[in-house]
Amino acid sequence: MSNKQAIKVEHLNKSFGKGDSFVDIIKDASFVINKGELVALVAPSGAGKTTLLMLLGCVSEPNSGKIWLGDEKVYDDKWLTKETRKIRREKIGFIFQAHYLIPFLNIIDNLTLLPQANGTNDKDAKAKARELLKYFDIADKEKAMPSQLSGGQNQRVAIARALANNPEIILADEPTAALDMQRSVDVVEMLKTIAQEQDVAIVMVTHDDRMLPYCDRIMKIQDKTIVFLD
Amino acid sequence: MIHLAKEDIRHTLGKFIVTAMGVGMLLGIVLIMMGVYRGMIADAEVLLNDLNVDLWVVQDDTLGPFAEASRIHEDLKYTIKGFQEIDKSEAITFQNFQLPLKDKKLAVLAIGYDVYGDINPINKERLIDGRVLQNDHYEIVVTDKTGYKIDDTIELGRNFFTVVGITHGSVASGGDPLVYISLKDAQELQFTYTNKRIQTDRARGIINKDAHLVNAIIATIKAGYNVNEVAQEIRKWQHKSVYTRAQQKVVLTRNVVEKASKQIGLFTVILIGVATIIIALIIYTMTLEKMKVISIMKLMGLPNSMIIKMIVEETLILGILAFIFGNIFAHLIYSKFPKNVLLNTPDSLLLFGVVVIASILASFIGVKKVVNADPTAAIGG
Repeated sequence: MSNKQAIKVEHLNKSFGKGDSFVDIIKDASFVINKGELVALVAPSGAGKTTLLMLLGCVSEPNSGKIWLGDEKVYDDKWLTKETRKIRREKIGFIFQAHYLIPFLNIIDNLTLLPQANGTNDKDAKAKARELLKYFDIADKEKAMPSQLSGGQNQRVAIARALANNPEIILADEPTAALDMQRSVDVVEMLKTIAQEQDVAIVMVTHDDRMLPYCDRIMKIQDKTIVFLD
Repeated sequence: MIHLAKEDIRHTLGKFIVTAMGVGMLLGIVLIMMGVYRGMIADAEVLLNDLNVDLWVVQDDTLGPFAEASRIHEDLKYTIKGFQEIDKSEAITFQNFQLPLKDKKLAVLAIGYDVYGDINPINKERLIDGRVLQNDHYEIVVTDKTGYKIDDTIELGRNFFTVVGITHGSVASGGDPLVYISLKDAQELQFTYTNKRIQTDRARGIINKDAHLVNAIIATIKAGYNVNEVAQEIRKWQHKSVYTRAQQKVVLTRNVVEKASKQIGLFTVILIGVATIIIALIIYTMTLEKMKVISIMKLMGLPNSMIIKMIVEETLILGILAFIFGNIFAHLIYSKFPKNVLLNTPDSLLLFGVVVIASILASFIGVKKVVNADPTAAIGG
């Protein structure tokens, strides 16, 4: 197992339904994503992008295969832990189409919620959150509520939140879907910088081909399996 | 550690407080209902406590004037007094009539007693103005609820009565105000008919109707005697129904106010049920409004316990806040009710316990939504 390896998948299968309604979504997928990489995940609508994201995020259970997150094997034809939520809490950060910050928490509380749930004390969680807010140039907004920030500022807070628990992997579900071209480019460049500087692997679902040149690799779901494009 | 319930409530404070006030008003009505019940029990015992006698001798096979018609001869009081165990014995009448007010009439219960007798039913602690009756005729003591003042004149039957005393808190078991007149006046009011009625009665052969009837003989016993044994002795020799004070209290609570108290009890239970359902629906709606947030929390990996704690705490805070508002509301309005409403701390504490349990039960519906929330709902827009 390489130290650089963030996600490793072997012979992963996922299907839905039974009998006449049986449908394969992911079939015999095997790939590796390294830390520091920004990988775009592309496919037509309904091809299984979100399903793959849910499998990698330990939210949905595959039918068979093996998954490693960092050094830890988490799935081997069954979950190797009862607490998949703990894996998410400790190893994975999520970025959504909209910022989806918790509306009743201020910015710093949005950032410290998950680390605190992980057992980090309030002081250390806040120190890390302030560091991230400074990194994203919104240090002066820590007491603001999400409703008081612009869309762009909220999206930066959402990215900061995904980093707050020091994850090894960030799963981003179309983070630029609601943004214009320039802001989309800004976000993707930001994600690429984060991947390199924070040494995390980022898998980003996107429909926007214009974002692909900014990514390190492009992963496509083709004929129900995973291929990497040049 | 971030207190999710506190932050969520702070975010929608106005809405939360208004909701708590709404539920609070409902709980306030529950407290008022409990107060009406307490007031009814207290009212029922006012006359019994004011008279403070040991024995009630009433018409045979009746429960006495608190529960049904009872008529016995006035001179029985002398016979009763003849028992060596008896200390004092007096005749008493109970009579419902409409007391004329300025532009309407007020239902009252008139207590007739021997002004010169040994037992005075007027509790002097209740006398807030004037004096007790001192003359055999045409004097009346009324309660402050009637609105009469000292020296006012009231026309009753063929005579005019002068108000000589005002009491406070004197009520009958049914909640009607009590007034006090002499035994002779009471008997006259009861048995003096109009001229036409007298003519009709004479035509029917009814002449010289016995007016010396009363509703009960009340008595106290000398120290050292057992009240139950004395009661049994009188029953044996006089063929009358005899009740001790404790037995009359049972008659009042079981036979007089039982149905009313059951009705109020049922209303109270229904209102508590309704309040529980309303709290549950509010929490359900509040949880539904947060489903996206809850899905995101679950997707990010927050444990169910943290989210469930938020829901349960919010429900409890809503219930407790509603209880506080309910108490304030009840204390603001209870005096406006026509009948006696007694708000007391044990009832309040009981309701508090019920509210806490109801809130926990009501939160289950929100908790179920949290447990079943699909984290994948956070993904895909």
